[in-house]
Amino acid sequence: MRRIACLLVLVALSPGFSNANDAAELVVIVNPDSGIDRLTRDEVIDIFLGRYRKLPSGRAALPIDVSEPSTERARFYQLLVKKSSAEISSYWARLVFSGQTSPPFQVPDAKTAVELVQSNPNAIAYVDRASVTGHVKVVLEIKP
Amino acid sequence: MKSSPESPGAPRRHLAGLVPRSIVARTSLSILLLAVAMGLLFSIMASWRVRAAEYDRLVARVDELTSTVESTVSIACFLNDATLAKEIAAGLMKNRIIAGVRITSGKNSLYSTVTATPDPHHRAEIDALTRKIHSPFDQQSVVGEITMYVSHAEIEAQSAAYSRYTIWILSLQVSIVAAAVAALVYLLVTRPIKGISDELHRLEIRSGMQITLKAGRRKDEIGQLVVDVNALISRLTDVLATERDLRLAQEISERRMRLVLEKADTGILVLDKNGAIQSCNPAFVRILGPTAAPGALLGDLLAPHGLTVAAIIEESRASNEARDADLEIDLAAGRGKAWVELSVNSLGPNLFQALVSDITDRKRAETAARELASRDTLTGLLNRRGFDAVLANRLAPGRYDGPMALLQVDLDHFKSVNDSYGHEAGDRVLREVARVFERAVRRSDFIGRMGGDEFAVLLPGIECVARAKEIASSIIAGVSEPIDIGDGRSVRVGASIGVAFAEPAMETPASLLRRADIAMYRAKQEGRGRACVVESPDAVESASDAA
Repeated sequence: MRRIACLLVLVALSPGFSNANDAAELVVIVNPDSGIDRLTRDEVIDIFLGRYRKLPSGRAALPIDVSEPSTERARFYQLLVKKSSAEISSYWARLVFSGQTSPPFQVPDAKTAVELVQSNPNAIAYVDRASVTGHVKVVLEIKP
Repeated sequence: MKSSPESPGAPRRHLAGLVPRSIVARTSLSILLLAVAMGLLFSIMASWRVRAAEYDRLVARVDELTSTVESTVSIACFLNDATLAKEIAAGLMKNRIIAGVRITSGKNSLYSTVTATPDPHHRAEIDALTRKIHSPFDQQSVVGEITMYVSHAEIEAQSAAYSRYTIWILSLQVSIVAAAVAALVYLLVTRPIKGISDELHRLEIRSGMQITLKAGRRKDEIGQLVVDVNALISRLTDVLATERDLRLAQEISERRMRLVLEKADTGILVLDKNGAIQSCNPAFVRILGPTAAPGALLGDLLAPHGLTVAAIIEESRASNEARDADLEIDLAAGRGKAWVELSVNSLGPNLFQALVSDITDRKRAETAARELASRDTLTGLLNRRGFDAVLANRLAPGRYDGPMALLQVDLDHFKSVNDSYGHEAGDRVLREVARVFERAVRRSDFIGRMGGDEFAVLLPGIECVARAKEIASSIIAGVSEPIDIGDGRSVRVGASIGVAFAEPAMETPASLLRRADIAMYRAKQEGRGRACVVESPDAVESASDAA
C-alpha cells in the first residue's frame, strides 16, 4: 500500500500531471460592447497571427498576448496552431521588416489582460476560464 | 621498295597525292585523325548529355530555391504582406536563372516582376514553376501561390558553358592520349620498320651486308623480321655466288666449245626438220662456199642430192640414230665437184645435228688406187681385172641396157716383133695399138688389155652387126699401119677379131667371152687380119675383111 501511495505522489508531482492540472480551459474574451458573441477558431488565428486586424463586426481588433513567464501564451499558441512560444516569437521577428502588421499587444499577466478587455471594446485576449470576470464576454473556448 | 609512280585513275592519283607515303607520317596522321574524330564524337555526345543534365539540375535548383523560401512565402501569403513578398522576390532575383517571381495571396497579387508574356516557344513547365502555398499554421488550407519564371537564356548559357568546359577537358585528354599513342607507335613500331626499310633500300646484296639488329629487339616481331630478312639475304647471297660460279664455268665451257666449233675441220651445223640450216661453223662455210649460211637448205647446198639429204634426215628422225652418206656434189659458182661425207644425228624432236666433212682428197686417192688396180700400167687401158669388173657390172642379173657387142682382139705377128726387136719395141707397139683402139671406139666403149697381145672391147648400145663390123674394121685398119719402133725402124702387125653379141638374158661374162674367143680363133684360122662375128650362141658367121 505504501508503495502505491508513493507512486501516486510521484505521478501527482510529474510535469504532465501538473500540466493537466494547470491546463484549465483557456477562453478567448472580448469586450461586451464589441458586438460579437462567437468567434471561430480560424478567426481567432487570423486575428492573433496578424492576418486580419478586424473583428467580424467590422470593428478594429486589438489582440493581447499575456507575455512570459506566465504560461497562458505558450498554452494558447500550442493549442491553437501547435507552435511553441519561441516559434511564435520567431514568426513575429520575421515580420518586423515589413512593418505592415505588428505582434499582439503584450501585457504581463492575465489580470491586466482582463482589465484591458473590460476597458477597450476593440481588445481581444485569452485567459484561463478562472480569470474570466462578469465584465468580459467569452467568444471561444480553446480545448486541448 | 619504291611505290609505283603511276596509279590508274585520276581521282585515285589525286587522293594519293594527299596521303603521305612515309609510314611514320601516315600512322601519325591516322592516329591524329582518329583522335580528332573520337574527340568530336565524344564532345557531341558529352555536350548533348551535359546540356540535358545541366538543364535538369538548374530546374531542380529552382525547385530547391522555392522550397528554401517557402515558409517565408507562406507567411507573406498568410498575412497578405506585399512588403515581405517583395523582400523574398528580391532575394530570389539575385539568382541569375530566376527571370521573374510572382507571389499571389488568394486573388491578390502580392508581388510580380513579370511584365512581358513568356516566350511561347518555351515549355510552360520550365517557364513558370508554380507552387501552392499553404498556411503556416494550417497545412490543409492554401493561402496563395508562388510562380518562378526561369531564364531560358541563362540556363542555355550555363549549360553551354559547362558543356564547353567538358569538351575542352575531353579534347585535352584525347589530344594527350593521341600524342602519347602516336609517340609510342612511332618509337616501338614505325621508326624501327622505317629503319629496316631504309637499310634494305640501301642494301647491296653482293657486299654481304646485313641489317643491324638493335639489342633488346631480338625477341619481338620486328627482331624476328630482321632475323628472317637477314637469313633471306644470306641465302640470296649464296645463291648469287653459286650462280656466278656456274655462269663462269659455263662461259669457259662455251668458249671451249666455240673454239672447237670454230677450229674444227668438219662442218658442224644444226638443222630443222626441213633441212634448213639454223647455225653452222666456219668449217662448213669453208667447205661449201659463202652461200652456206643459216637459213639456206642443206639439200640445195649439197646439189644434186637434195632428195638423199631429205631421206637421211627423215631416217635419222625415225630411227633416232646417226645416218651418213658419201655424196659427190656440185659446188656452187662453178667451183667444180667435191666429195663430202654427211652424217645426221637427231638432237631433239625437230632438231638435227649434221656433220659435213670434205672427203674429196680421200675419194680421189681412193679412185686413184682403184684406177691403179684396174688399169694396165703399160697401155693405160683396163687390165683384165678392170675389164672383167666392167663386164660383170654390165651383165649383172636384172640389168639390161640394150644390145651389146664384145670384140676379142689378138694381134698378128706380134711375137716375131718381140723376138726380133726386143721387149722395148714390143711395148712401143702395144702402146701404139692402144692409141689405135682409143681412136677407133666411141667414148662410151671400154677397152681392156687381157694379157700379152690380147685385147677386148665392149661396145654397149650397139644395135646392128654392121656397126660392130665397122668398128672392128677400123681397128684392123689402124693396127695394120706401120708402127715406129725408134731408130728409124718401123714394124707392121695385124689384128684378128672375134665379135660376139650379148643375149638379152641369161648371158654371163664367161659365155660371152668364150663365144668372142671362138670367133677370134676362126678369124685366125681363116687367115688373120679379119673379123669374125658370132651372132648367136648357135651360129658363128664368118666375115672376112681385107687385111
